[in-house]
Amino acid sequence: MIQYILTTLLIFIIAPFLTGLIKSIKMFLLFKKPISPFQPYLDLKKLFNKEIIYSKETSSISRIAPFLILSPIVLVVFLLPPIFSGSFYISFMDAFTITGLLSLSTFFLMLIGLDSASSFGGIGASRESFISALVEPAMILTIFSVSLIGQNINIGASALNLANNFPLEHSASFILAGISFFILLIAENGRIPIDNPETHLELTMVHEAMILDVTGANLALIELAGSLKFIIFASIFVTLFIPFGADLCWCLAVTIFILKLFFVALAVALVEVNGAKLRLFKVPNLLGIAIIFGFLSLVTFYILGGNQ
Amino acid sequence: MFNFDSLSLLFVFLILLGAIPNLFYASGYLSHIKRKTHFLIHYFTFIISMIGVVISNEVVVFLFFWEIMSLTSWQLILTEPTEKAIKSARFYFFMTHFGFVFILLFFLILSPDNAFASFNDMKELANNFKYPTLLFALITIGFLSKAGAVPFHVWLPYAHPEAPSPVSALMSGVMLKVAIYAFLRFIFILPNWQLEWGVIILTIGALSSLIGVLYALAEHDIKALLANHSIENIGIILIGIGVGMIFTNLHLYTLAAFGFIAAVYHTFNHMSFKALLFMSAGSVLHQTHTKNMESYGGLIKTMPVTAYLFLIAAISISALPPTNGFLSEWMIFQSMLSSHSVDDIILKLAFPFAIFALALTGGLAIACFVKAFGITFLGLERSSNAKHAKEVNKLMLIGQILMGGVVISLMLFLPNIIHLINVSLPIVDIYSKLFPNYFVMHSLNGGAVAPLLLLGALIVITALIVYVYKSLNLKERIYHTWACGYNTNSRSQYTATGFGGPIRRFFEWLYKPEVHSHKTTLAGHKTKFSDSLFEVHVKPLFEKSLYDNTKLLVDKISDIIYKWSNFEKEKYASLIFILLATVLFSYRVFAHQSSWGSILLEFTVMSIFIKIIIIGDKK
Repeated sequence: MIQYILTTLLIFIIAPFLTGLIKSIKMFLLFKKPISPFQPYLDLKKLFNKEIIYSKETSSISRIAPFLILSPIVLVVFLLPPIFSGSFYISFMDAFTITGLLSLSTFFLMLIGLDSASSFGGIGASRESFISALVEPAMILTIFSVSLIGQNINIGASALNLANNFPLEHSASFILAGISFFILLIAENGRIPIDNPETHLELTMVHEAMILDVTGANLALIELAGSLKFIIFASIFVTLFIPFGADLCWCLAVTIFILKLFFVALAVALVEVNGAKLRLFKVPNLLGIAIIFGFLSLVTFYILGGNQ
Repeated sequence: MFNFDSLSLLFVFLILLGAIPNLFYASGYLSHIKRKTHFLIHYFTFIISMIGVVISNEVVVFLFFWEIMSLTSWQLILTEPTEKAIKSARFYFFMTHFGFVFILLFFLILSPDNAFASFNDMKELANNFKYPTLLFALITIGFLSKAGAVPFHVWLPYAHPEAPSPVSALMSGVMLKVAIYAFLRFIFILPNWQLEWGVIILTIGALSSLIGVLYALAEHDIKALLANHSIENIGIILIGIGVGMIFTNLHLYTLAAFGFIAAVYHTFNHMSFKALLFMSAGSVLHQTHTKNMESYGGLIKTMPVTAYLFLIAAISISALPPTNGFLSEWMIFQSMLSSHSVDDIILKLAFPFAIFALALTGGLAIACFVKAFGITFLGLERSSNAKHAKEVNKLMLIGQILMGGVVISLMLFLPNIIHLINVSLPIVDIYSKLFPNYFVMHSLNGGAVAPLLLLGALIVITALIVYVYKSLNLKERIYHTWACGYNTNSRSQYTATGFGGPIRRFFEWLYKPEVHSHKTTLAGHKTKFSDSLFEVHVKPLFEKSLYDNTKLLVDKISDIIYKWSNFEKEKYASLIFILLATVLFSYRVFAHQSSWGSILLEFTVMSIFIKIIIIGDKK
């Protein structure tokens, strides 16, 4: 139990660092002078000290939405799969609850976009609703497939099953599901082929457009939610799809877990540097690949005769 | 005559849950209605007839109440007899009686000598009937056309918006559920369910849910949007029923029970949040006098209670945790995920498609309700009506708040509701397996969800964040924010049409939208204009292809019949002659010399006869 609390705390602490790390890796690869990976902490501190400005057109939704964007995501951090065997994990919530809570957060994010009556908020909300509608089926198919391979619908138990006795005969469907989930990781966190987190250009904005009118501590809450969301996806990815190291002693397991998170950050940074942002109407093609891989993963699993 | 068995009582409970808040709402809404006596008579008869349908136990009584229910709701659509209302009422009248014919046929087959046969007698007859698939087809078409499942859903987006709002809430929230009740009641009478039946119901459900939500997204009439969402939710209910039927056929009775419970629980949930949505939309309509979402905006500032109730219902219908809508959709997902224990590989591979459809539906529903809530209640007002809107009167608010209470209590008392549903349906008792303790609901394949803990955790976490946030004593200011240098006004914000733009463009092959636009440009500038209009209308594909073409076909046939009925006497005589010749010839051929050669010979001779005698020479 104490280990569970400590690892959860670790995830909270490390979350902004990971976002900063991606940024500095990217800058390094682009031959810029990289910022410190600890920059997001300073940014958060700066934002908390600033005055909050509410746009004249906003309603009470703008005042409550930042909390409701953050709190489901904070809750999800407590539901993550364990990073080493024998650790406590919450077994009475399954992956559907996790996807549902993430959608709840996105729901309020879209509302905050529409609240300030600026056309940019509308652009962002409209695009985000389009993308997240297509992410949903891919996510559920992939999770279904992984839960079949890991023989438990609860991703915590599933991750431990995969780590302790990996079903080699299902590696094909495992890899397909892994690719699908990586695409979802990129899509849900607004990374480059889908959305560019760094521009404020109306043609390319999705996530940034929704929060254009949010300032000060509210912005800090939403930024925090963003980096927590990334670490949630990254840690689900590493515990489910890079399943080794869980049966070591806990200090080694945690080190390996953090190294794996760095690896994901590196992978995302490499994808970002090497790819261009897709046009909005090309995004469904990428998400279509995720959906098809989810399907294929299930089909290969069934055809190879799992769970008979 | 009447029978109060547990299934009937369950649905009486559902009707009362839907009707009591509605009574308050309707009495507040009454000042808005011109033909008060007409409205009140039909309104109360409508509620009583729905209760009559669910408690009746004899064929004639059932049909009587069913017909009264259809007729009163038809009259209620005509409360305000505008041109549009008359047209949609006529469509509704036709469709509901189209379904009635099939229901009547079903009863004629199963109660040949006694119109007062009780449903138990029908069960025996059904056991001896040789073609149960025929019976299945009859009740599927009959009851599901009333419930609004694809492809018999086309009347729904026309009929529901035209009725006064309390009636829309009743029709969408309760009347569709009465049709689901009737379907469940009679499907349990039929013996030996075939595997195909379940697959058909599952397919209808998956299609309805997708088509419903896609057309809801394209709507900008708020009540038509909600009506399209009813199609979606009926689809979700049917997915549950279909899964239950498939598992029953495969003798997986506990899994089947889970599917049926999920379906009926979603029936309750849809009743609650759809009624609340219709009531809140009705309040908005009551204040702004328009159903067009493009004239709303910023109503949360003037109508906060209505807005927040709408928000609760919108979160619930989008299946976001921890609401009741999420719980029932979770159950339906879990019942489909149990499909991995099926042996038949084809069936196993088919289930992911239904899962895909349901998941996509969920995603699109979120988009749709962000649009419905965001465009209606957030931003700036888009018309002067929206600017002068005020909170509605107390009675209407009480109705809405009560319904909000129903939505929330369906989530809070989940175990009790599930227990109630489980004992009411003729299925295996799985309550103790689902709820080993009160707080956590387990599905039968290892999944689990704890709604109360989820809600509690969300509240605690939010409270903690708010506490820390408040303790920082942050400075606040209300001022202009930077909108990239543009002036923020009501014309510059996103519209409902614009919001649905990306999705509409992605599904263009389905929507085939008609775009009306015009622009008055200034002195030859391409980008500067004084006046512009952009409107998109989507006519449902089913209506365009299936219904309009049926209409054309019927037109053609009646045209031919009209021509034939205006023959001269000689032609009639020759027609009779040809009929006679055909019968005799066919008798000869089929009774004595049945071979392809003689059939071909008969066909040739008859064609020559028809050509020479009836059609004659072309002039």
